[in-house]
Amino acid sequence: MTEAVGIVGAGLTPCKGRWVELSYYGLSQLAVKKTLEDAAIDIKDVDAVVFGIYNDIFEYSAIPEHPLQGIIGMANKPGMRVTCGGATGAYAMLASYTMVKSGLYDTVLCLGVEKCTDCFDFDSMTSTPEVIKSIGWSGDTFYERELGWTASESYAEVVLAYMDEHPNDLKDEVSAEISAILCKQAQNNKYAQRYGEKVTKEMAMNSRYIVYPFKLLETCVYTEGAAGVIFANKEKTNSMCKNSGKPPIWITGVGASNEHHVVGRDFRHKVMHRIYSDHLSAKAAYKMAGVTNPVKEVQVVELHDAFIKQLQVTMAEFGFTKLGHSDDLVKEGLMVPGGPILVNPSGGLTYAGHFVGGSNMLSAWSTRRELIDKQLHRGMIHGTGSTIAQYGCVMIMERRD
Amino acid sequence: MARPKVKSKAKPKAKPRAAKSPKVEKVIPLHMIPDVQSEVIKTAEGRYLQSNEAMFTFYKRSKGEQSPYFLGLMEKKQIIGARCPKCKLVRVPAFEIYCPDCQFEKLELVELPDTGVMNSTPPITYFANSLFAHMVPFGRGRVMIDGADTGIPMHVYTTKGVLTPRVFKKNTPVKVIFRKNRLGKPTDVFAVPIAELPEKLRAKKGVEEQELDWSRPVEPPVDKPTPETEKAFKSAFAAFQSMSKAVAKSDRAKKDLAGWKRSIQVKTAGGSFIISIDKQNLTVKPGKAKADFVMVSNNPRLFEDWMNSRESLTNAIIADKLWISKNQEFTTVFKLDRLPRSLRRT
Repeated sequence: MTEAVGIVGAGLTPCKGRWVELSYYGLSQLAVKKTLEDAAIDIKDVDAVVFGIYNDIFEYSAIPEHPLQGIIGMANKPGMRVTCGGATGAYAMLASYTMVKSGLYDTVLCLGVEKCTDCFDFDSMTSTPEVIKSIGWSGDTFYERELGWTASESYAEVVLAYMDEHPNDLKDEVSAEISAILCKQAQNNKYAQRYGEKVTKEMAMNSRYIVYPFKLLETCVYTEGAAGVIFANKEKTNSMCKNSGKPPIWITGVGASNEHHVVGRDFRHKVMHRIYSDHLSAKAAYKMAGVTNPVKEVQVVELHDAFIKQLQVTMAEFGFTKLGHSDDLVKEGLMVPGGPILVNPSGGLTYAGHFVGGSNMLSAWSTRRELIDKQLHRGMIHGTGSTIAQYGCVMIMERRD
Repeated sequence: MARPKVKSKAKPKAKPRAAKSPKVEKVIPLHMIPDVQSEVIKTAEGRYLQSNEAMFTFYKRSKGEQSPYFLGLMEKKQIIGARCPKCKLVRVPAFEIYCPDCQFEKLELVELPDTGVMNSTPPITYFANSLFAHMVPFGRGRVMIDGADTGIPMHVYTTKGVLTPRVFKKNTPVKVIFRKNRLGKPTDVFAVPIAELPEKLRAKKGVEEQELDWSRPVEPPVDKPTPETEKAFKSAFAAFQSMSKAVAKSDRAKKDLAGWKRSIQVKTAGGSFIISIDKQNLTVKPGKAKADFVMVSNNPRLFEDWMNSRESLTNAIIADKLWISKNQEFTTVFKLDRLPRSLRRT
């Protein structure tokens, strides 16, 4: 078992609503090329690969990773796919970390890729309804899918239940302001899908509901893209980073938790007004990293913002504010520009992009960038997924030089 | 580029079953199936080929141990749960056969009542996936059946018009209603607020949908015109005419309207007009005419707010500022709601 696991490189493709020019093969090659360039290593230096690919339907294949193994230069080496709904990327990185931490491999590439808008609805002659339908196969196939289950309404169930318990929290003007903040932050990210776009608080407030209480401009985008992150053991991290001239970023905490998918009265089942998976995964990661007060000890949070109001609930579950007081993220200035916590500094999934299998690798890329460029100490990344926010996965990253 | 048709000398085969029996419901609606076709897409980077394809698999899917619940719905209008003899927890639906909290103790099937409460406020879907677009807006929540410890995912409806977030809340008492034609699916049942039912149906077991009083939506009257509303109407109508010209010049906006044809009668306190969507264009003309559906708002200014991105038509309907005669036309409302943003980004 290695003493420490570090990140030695990360790279991504531009995030686009549709990539006509590249299939997921091409996106994967491009992301790996950029990741290797960032780490200043050769693919021959990599021992194993973990693929984060969420949805077979998006890739039009039941084992979509098989053609990638050879074309990214990993033929004859170990490779496995991880799929965990929206949390696919975070879980793929957890698997990569574990493979290195165990001592089995020195260097592991984690590659996340996703197409989605190849899916097309010939009734409305648009992609979106078919993309939603494809995701709809992720709900419980006996009890949910046939009722028109969608990811949006599934997360809306959780948020509405939270609002039942905390009717004075999650005010629309706060969610709208957070959306505007994220849009502004996306302008620091040239890979962002909504780079160059300006969304104000008023525009977010006035945008239409897609599923009550989620509005269009407070919801993540559908994205096609790919991203890679390379994990290495202590020795390799130090030598590779010395070679690339970039400081090593160490993984100091990991945590994961999946809740029951059926709603019940206590935590033997899902308690709808909580995202307990986020709470438990953060708690485990904090314990491992020695974090006791996240507001003071974590400077960057790359949070899986599928929906802005869910971002707020998750921040409360993480302990950055109290449950029922998530509006303090803005009211108390916790995540406003100049505040103590940088949240989704590259625009998050709402504005940078959500290519599901690799979105959390985008988060890792962004967190690492902030830790290096702004010389910060600690950041955390997060993935959430499955029906009613069932899955949660957190990773803590630190710069120690 | 369409695939060249190939003439066959073989004797024509029998017509497919759908052609003989158009009323037979297909597991894939026929209208959703595209033709075999390929086309060339040109971008700044070059020429790329794309093809119409489908990833489909048919099933004869056993519901296995889930069968007692679905058979209960279909055959006996019963709600079947599973009770653990050790911890006494009652799980509904009966989705497992052993209790994972009690060393996998075998569960007992039990019949539950058809009344309960909402576990929490249910979401309402206004933009559905392509299989459910015709059903919007619909609510789906979790009904905690009386005596149960877990919730059943279930559609929720009101018998009193458009479903808004004000109808169902946490702990709203509900009655489970059975469809007349049941197939052993989760859609065999739905919930309505018990307060909407007459006394005689509240305690009746196995109430079917046709026993409910589905109040037809009554078009709300508009106020008499005033100089102010007439002025606002003129301004809104002029803005619509400008929008119509802008749409004609915007590829993005035209794409929003592609493949859609609708006529909409709009009535306001300042006057009425007709919106026509056809051939990727939007046109308006004053007056009244037969239309696919009706929109009513006392305030003509609402439409200018919409065009200036200060309001969305969807949100206005939810907030009771705008009324539409057909729930299904939310699909059209969504297409309209895209236009201001598309024009802004053109």
